[in-house]
Amino acid sequence: MDSNLAAGLAIGLGAIGPGIGLGLGVSKAMEALGRNPEAAGAIFVPYILGLALTEAIGIYALVIGLLLMFT
Amino acid sequence: MQSALELPIELMAGIISGSTSRWRSYAALILGRFLMILVANWVGLLPGVGTIGITHVDEAGHEAVIPIVRPASADLNFTLGLAIVAFVMFVYWGVRAHGGWGYLKELMGQPLYMAPLMLPINLISEFSRLISLSMRLFGNIFAGEVLIATMLALTTAVVFVLPLAFFVPAVFLGLELLFGLVQALVFALLAMTYISVAIAEQSAGHDNDHGEADVAHADDPHAAGAAPA
Repeated sequence: MDSNLAAGLAIGLGAIGPGIGLGLGVSKAMEALGRNPEAAGAIFVPYILGLALTEAIGIYALVIGLLLMFT
Repeated sequence: MQSALELPIELMAGIISGSTSRWRSYAALILGRFLMILVANWVGLLPGVGTIGITHVDEAGHEAVIPIVRPASADLNFTLGLAIVAFVMFVYWGVRAHGGWGYLKELMGQPLYMAPLMLPINLISEFSRLISLSMRLFGNIFAGEVLIATMLALTTAVVFVLPLAFFVPAVFLGLELLFGLVQALVFALLAMTYISVAIAEQSAGHDNDHGEADVAHADDPHAAGAAPA
């Protein structure tokens, strides 16, 4: 039962950082898009890559959560 | 119909051909990977996949349904296999572009006396790509499945009071369609970027070390720019 609590804490606390990071990334991308709408194509690929790499941190928390739940 | 089917291919082909000048050598791998993950993600949203199965009762008396058809991306074996193939691909391209010794030199970092510190760090970062690639796809699709199941269970419990069960899961199904596309795109893009980074890393400091590899893509303006972590 303790590991259930630990898994919940791991994914819950571990989602804070990537949440802030994703929010910052998206806000800056939208800002850039608002200033320069023609740059949408050029922004798209680095934007997706940046979000994916930021999200990886949250995925690590998910890994720990799954490890705690199932092992 | 045909143009709808060609839409993701054209999107992906445009991104691939814009990446590096040597895109032809790995375009087929990345495109095939993208379509395979896309289908694997969306198959899990069909009704009956993962829910129709054989009921199995274990010794303790717990009942569990073993599905006949499972969504592929919600299984870690599938995504880990894909990530291992991607890992082998970018190590192969890196070794092919730099030579084995050149690739090792990349791992050891620029001032040679820092090698004992940099080598483990770079090795860990190479292998963490494997973990993050596979767990990202698995986590997103698995979490999507669980999310839809939870929403369905929550809304079905009150279906006689509020008929929400007909609308709320549909919203999340639409969201999962989008996530399936985005995750397939992310996997293919990351694999492509890792390969193009592995090909193009060496241009900075030591140009004279590897002769023919430099000549092959010395006229490559995008290669150095497309480098993430």
